[in-house]
Amino acid sequence: MKIINYLLFGLLAGLALFSNACEEIPPVINPFTGEPPDTVVDVENQQRQVLIEEFTGVRCVQCPAGSAEIATLLAIHGERLVAVSIHAGDFVYPFPTSQYNFQTQEGDDLYNFLDSPNSFPSAVIDRKLFEGENDLPLGRNQWAGFIEQEKAIDPLIKIAVQPTFNETTRKLDVELKLYPQEIISEPDVRLSVMLTESNIVDIQDTPDGKVTDYKHKHVLRHMLTSYLGDAISESLAPGNVITKNYSFTLPESWNAGEPSLQENEMHVVAFVHLGTTSKEVLQAIEVPMIK
Amino acid sequence: MKFLHICITCWLAFWLVAPLSAQEGSGGRLSGNLEANGNFFLRDTLIGAAKTPQYDRQIFGSESWLNLNYSNWGFDFALRFDVFNNSNLLNPQGSYTALGIGRWYVHKTVDNFDFSVGYLYDQIGSGIIFRSYEQRALLIDNALVGLRVGYNFGDNLRVKAFSGLQKQQFDLYKSVIAGASIDYFLVGKEGSQFTLAPGAGIVRRTLDDATMNNLVATINTYLADDAFVPTYTAYAMSLYNTLTWGPFTWYAEGAYKTRDNMSNPLVDRVTITGDTIVGKLVQSPGSVFYSSLSFAKSGLGITLEGKRTKNFSFRTRPQEELNRGLMNFLPPMTRVNTYRLTARYMPATQEFGELAFQVDARYAINKHTSVNVNFSNITDLDGNQLYREIYTELLLKKTRKWQFTGGVQFQNYNQEVYFFKPHEPILENITPYFDFLYRFPKRRAVRLEAQYMLTGQDAKGIGYDYGDWLFGLLEISPAAKWTITLSDMYNIGPGKNSPSDANTGEKLSVHFPRFDVFYTHGANRFSLSYVKQVEGVVCTGGVCRIEPAFSGVKFSVNSSF
Repeated sequence: MKIINYLLFGLLAGLALFSNACEEIPPVINPFTGEPPDTVVDVENQQRQVLIEEFTGVRCVQCPAGSAEIATLLAIHGERLVAVSIHAGDFVYPFPTSQYNFQTQEGDDLYNFLDSPNSFPSAVIDRKLFEGENDLPLGRNQWAGFIEQEKAIDPLIKIAVQPTFNETTRKLDVELKLYPQEIISEPDVRLSVMLTESNIVDIQDTPDGKVTDYKHKHVLRHMLTSYLGDAISESLAPGNVITKNYSFTLPESWNAGEPSLQENEMHVVAFVHLGTTSKEVLQAIEVPMIK
Repeated sequence: MKFLHICITCWLAFWLVAPLSAQEGSGGRLSGNLEANGNFFLRDTLIGAAKTPQYDRQIFGSESWLNLNYSNWGFDFALRFDVFNNSNLLNPQGSYTALGIGRWYVHKTVDNFDFSVGYLYDQIGSGIIFRSYEQRALLIDNALVGLRVGYNFGDNLRVKAFSGLQKQQFDLYKSVIAGASIDYFLVGKEGSQFTLAPGAGIVRRTLDDATMNNLVATINTYLADDAFVPTYTAYAMSLYNTLTWGPFTWYAEGAYKTRDNMSNPLVDRVTITGDTIVGKLVQSPGSVFYSSLSFAKSGLGITLEGKRTKNFSFRTRPQEELNRGLMNFLPPMTRVNTYRLTARYMPATQEFGELAFQVDARYAINKHTSVNVNFSNITDLDGNQLYREIYTELLLKKTRKWQFTGGVQFQNYNQEVYFFKPHEPILENITPYFDFLYRFPKRRAVRLEAQYMLTGQDAKGIGYDYGDWLFGLLEISPAAKWTITLSDMYNIGPGKNSPSDANTGEKLSVHFPRFDVFYTHGANRFSLSYVKQVEGVVCTGGVCRIEPAFSGVKFSVNSSF
């Protein structure tokens, strides 16, 4: 009898501790309904644009799921999300039948610089170490939430990019203008400029086996700056417009797009970020190389 | 948080240092241990020991733990200082540098009541609904940081309850965890060999707002068919019992988890752009049934185990992957192999669906001879084969002179699930092995070990994974305190994943040698090793963690005082 009393006591104590009498008020869910994303705006009305750098590789079976997730996020956020796919790490080595090698020195350097992902697919969002996270790379279940969080921030700086591509010489000139919106007093602010290429058809490992006509998107091809970014030495205060210029001659193997068909396979991605212990991106932008 | 750490440090330092002068008079007891590992990384691109910060530029990485325990005045105090310098333990591909107090706690017993505050390791039942523990090899340290109270109703009934947050390296996850359990112990009448130890437990986990906001944002990217309304709180509860009757011991546990938000890496989802991808957030209840029955008498020992798991991923937040944020522990259902090759293919526990059985029988024929046979079989809930192992062992020994162990292991290993290699066939390995130990006077000994792993080949005659392996080890103990080990793992029949020649692409047979020197003096143990270790991809449920190849020198110290 004594035992039964003890058990009843334990049961009642447990019920008191874990009482679920009060139903929790659930969060509101708004699944995607297909509404169009934000349209392109001029630099004056530019809002916070978020950079997502995805780590991937042609031998990474799970990575197409990451790329599809990014396609979903781009469909939702439009111009306010800037995607770069960095082929680096142990899954990067081309297959014997691959046409291209997407590995770049800058990609390898960024792989190490951005905390080397623990698993694939992983992505770094605005190079920010979010509260409660150990590393910059994040699993794909976290991307959407942190992108929303970053979008809510007002841009400290706005960026305008004007690429000029000479089809004959394949020389690309890029003029960037930076418009600080507030005084940025961080001791080390940097500018990174990347070239990405989309819709490259080549082999990719997937859960359904090797797909030979897989379309690789946002592939990091080259950086016009150092992989650490180039330091901005000018004063970053409202009213100061900072102009930077870069040039690069595209290899023949890169598809620059067909201007007459308005196909734009190459994009210029630029972003301003910190170069201190924090690597946080302040603003990002992507423009087609050929407008 | 740092301020809190400093306060706690000072406070504990006071309690730990102040009594030392009074230790002789007060009867306090100070004990502890130190574990330190240092790794020198020597790049070897052929085996893939390259392209991590350690190989590229850092060259050296280390991790160490100093644990101090002090007991006095009915209190137990503990303090652990953790140091990670360019360590690859947290992320095998990365470099982790941090240091600080990794653990502290205070425990006090007042009559039948006891309480603990700080970083607590504990479990309910076998750990299926809750287990906080440390496993340094994988840098799992999911201590519950909070309060635990317990009360003993006499000698046979104990109730405990706890609440807190889960440790995240030197920070904390924000989800709140609370739990309680009741354990009873019944002994049969005097002279009977009957005992009963029933128990019950319950755990709840409530997500923090930031986690929920992140979760909602992700679900909002789903099509309506896949979207669900996430819950803040999930409950897991279990009933368990250990019955002992003479030579029999029977353990049974049944666990149930209420609707919970989980990340299932094995199910398909159609994205809004029309792509079909594997892996999505899901919500469902879960269950686990686990039982083991043991018999031990007259040189015969038999253990039968069975487990059925369905949707039982229980983490501090659903966004966590691999071995992070685990709140529970699902017992593995296979033999823990220790030889290098017999332990090469280990099945990861499947949280979302697994049906597993294991039989282990050992019989001592006489004082010098015993045999052991182990059989384990794991399928998913649809009956698809995941893992099967038959392990045989014959042990012959002449008392204090020599000992021979030998046998064969047969393994079927589902690469598609455990390595997430689509369309890869099930590996079928046969691994004969032997281990011979000869003891000389004055605690000197020599030990010889050899294994050969034979794997299958595909239609083109190419060996699966790394193909066939040969392993040999010679261990000499020239004096009581010294042990020297020399071993080599040789890829005698290279497979499709073996290193290849950079120019010809031809698969290469590569040696992975290892040389160790161990010195033990009292409670101190030192080791110095030169290691070349083959790489491997460890995947759990579709998310992969790369355990890269290692090439370099390791040094370790273990000391207890």
